[in-house]
Amino acid sequence: MSMAWAFYISTVLVYLGVNMMACWGLNLQYGYTGILNFAYIIFLSAGAYTAAILTLGPSTDGSFQQYIFGLNLPFPIPIIAGGVVGALLSALVGTIALRRLRTDYQAMVFLVISLIATTVVTNDVGLFNGPAGLSVIPKPLDSVVNLSLIGYQWFYVGVTAVICLIIYVFVRRITGSPLGRSMRAVRDHEQAAAALGKNVAAIRMLSLVVGGFIAGVSGAVLVSFISAWSPGGWLYQETFVLFTAIIVGGTANNAGAALGAFLVPVLFLESTRFLPTFGPPGLIDALQWVAVGALALIFLWFWPRGVLPERRRIIKMPDSSTSAAMVETAGVDQSGGTE
Amino acid sequence: MFMQALGFGIITASILAIGAVGFTTQFGVTNILNLAYGDVMTASAFAAYVATSNGLNPWLGLVLGGIFGSIFSFALNRVVYTPFIRRGSKLFVMIIITIAVSLIVQNMMQVIWGPEFYSIHVDSGSTIHFLGMVFTTSQLIIVLIAGLALVALHSLLRFTRIGKAMRATASDAELARNCGIQTKRVIDLAWLMSGLLCGVAGVALVMELGSFQSTTGGAFLVPIIAAAVLGGVGQIYGAMLGGLIIGITTELAAVYINPEYKDVVAFVVLIVVLLIRPQGILSEVASQKEVAA
Repeated sequence: MSMAWAFYISTVLVYLGVNMMACWGLNLQYGYTGILNFAYIIFLSAGAYTAAILTLGPSTDGSFQQYIFGLNLPFPIPIIAGGVVGALLSALVGTIALRRLRTDYQAMVFLVISLIATTVVTNDVGLFNGPAGLSVIPKPLDSVVNLSLIGYQWFYVGVTAVICLIIYVFVRRITGSPLGRSMRAVRDHEQAAAALGKNVAAIRMLSLVVGGFIAGVSGAVLVSFISAWSPGGWLYQETFVLFTAIIVGGTANNAGAALGAFLVPVLFLESTRFLPTFGPPGLIDALQWVAVGALALIFLWFWPRGVLPERRRIIKMPDSSTSAAMVETAGVDQSGGTE
Repeated sequence: MFMQALGFGIITASILAIGAVGFTTQFGVTNILNLAYGDVMTASAFAAYVATSNGLNPWLGLVLGGIFGSIFSFALNRVVYTPFIRRGSKLFVMIIITIAVSLIVQNMMQVIWGPEFYSIHVDSGSTIHFLGMVFTTSQLIIVLIAGLALVALHSLLRFTRIGKAMRATASDAELARNCGIQTKRVIDLAWLMSGLLCGVAGVALVMELGSFQSTTGGAFLVPIIAAAVLGGVGQIYGAMLGGLIIGITTELAAVYINPEYKDVVAFVVLIVVLLIRPQGILSEVASQKEVAA
């Protein structure tokens, strides 16, 4: 394997890990709890900025970029802090967006928050260096492990894999627990869940905050790897890519979300790199967005439950043997009665 | 300074009011949060651009843009939204679908027209000074068109049978259907009218801005939604009033705070309204509804 290929493949693997984590977080919110968080990318971005400014040294007046803090902290503190900031920001946004509003109004609030955040960060240069964003963020443990360029790449793939595994176990513990069941209940029938004594507001908020934490971690892992971050990379359309990934892979299914992360942001969008470039600049980007939109529509039409659908949870009635089976309503909302 | 900003505010408010009334008409009747609305505006502007650059009078171009928007919206509903609703997609999924459509429409325009800016040339005419506000003739025509469009829509809803049917469908689609109203036709009409206003707003917007590109309408969508929600969804007068409030506050903010934060003011107004009075200033109920088709 040549150097260039090794470099490329290791980079793609890190992207895959980052996208998988991001999809698990969003799946927890959207797939399991039914929150249409169109501001999701903001929490990823908040984690990324946090990790960046904690890793970078202090910003001096003469330096080419302006930012707050600059604490020079060692790995893994910036990554954890990224997750914590993602969670805190989610809690803040949740107190605004998760009020008793219609679902579509909630989605509207999230969308608008996403737009506000982009505008503020772009215009407030002192915060995170405005539209240019931050760069030359030191790579974690680079000086400690002292590896070649390619060696470090594979080392970071390993770091990402470990963090991914931790996040996966964490998410599985939640979705497989009674809490996960409550989340699905809130998604499928809010009033019924409330009638059974579930605190709907608290469950929604918890899901949003945990998802925000995961988003923050995934953003932090990404920024530590690519060592640069700017507002252009987290426009609200990016959230839509993650939504598409979950729809394609399978909503409310962690393996499905991981598969979606592989199929959409990695396979589908990376593969265009290998096509010959044509047309004026920006044309391929625009076509990609058309394709992502079309992909979401095609899946919602033909396979609304995704490649790996949510597991149907069938509970046998205790008295009879075959005929009376009670099917939990899980997933019926998205299935659209096609079965 | 204040009066000048107010003048700008009135122009922006007129365009916003046309857009917001169109948005609210459709949203009120069908309950589909059509996030592709802004991109249909841009598409209509491009249609008008093609016609005017081939020698059509810009004001006829505005009419043409309206007709284009009308047909586009109608087709969008028939070809994409209604089939999905028939298939059982819930409100929830419909929002994702409209975002997908918005991305497709916007980026298709970018594919066809590229990232460059275009402009519809309109003779701005002589300037008119009024109480310290400065208007060009073309701006006054836009304000006039806004006024006329809203009066026409009001008369339609108030004094005709189909208008009555439309109001009935907006308040309770199921009940309206049970009373023998052909809600399918009403919904078609809602999309046609909404699209007409959408197209007119799109062309008026790019005339006023001077230049536009594929993302112009999409960027204008949030102030439109803000105006519509502020007024109460489905409330024609509310949307007009909302457009006026949002238009004037954003232009004042542009002068007194920072032009870059103009949209943020609209966003913040929207969020505050949603938190304090989600049913809007002129509406009584905003309960959870399902999509109508």
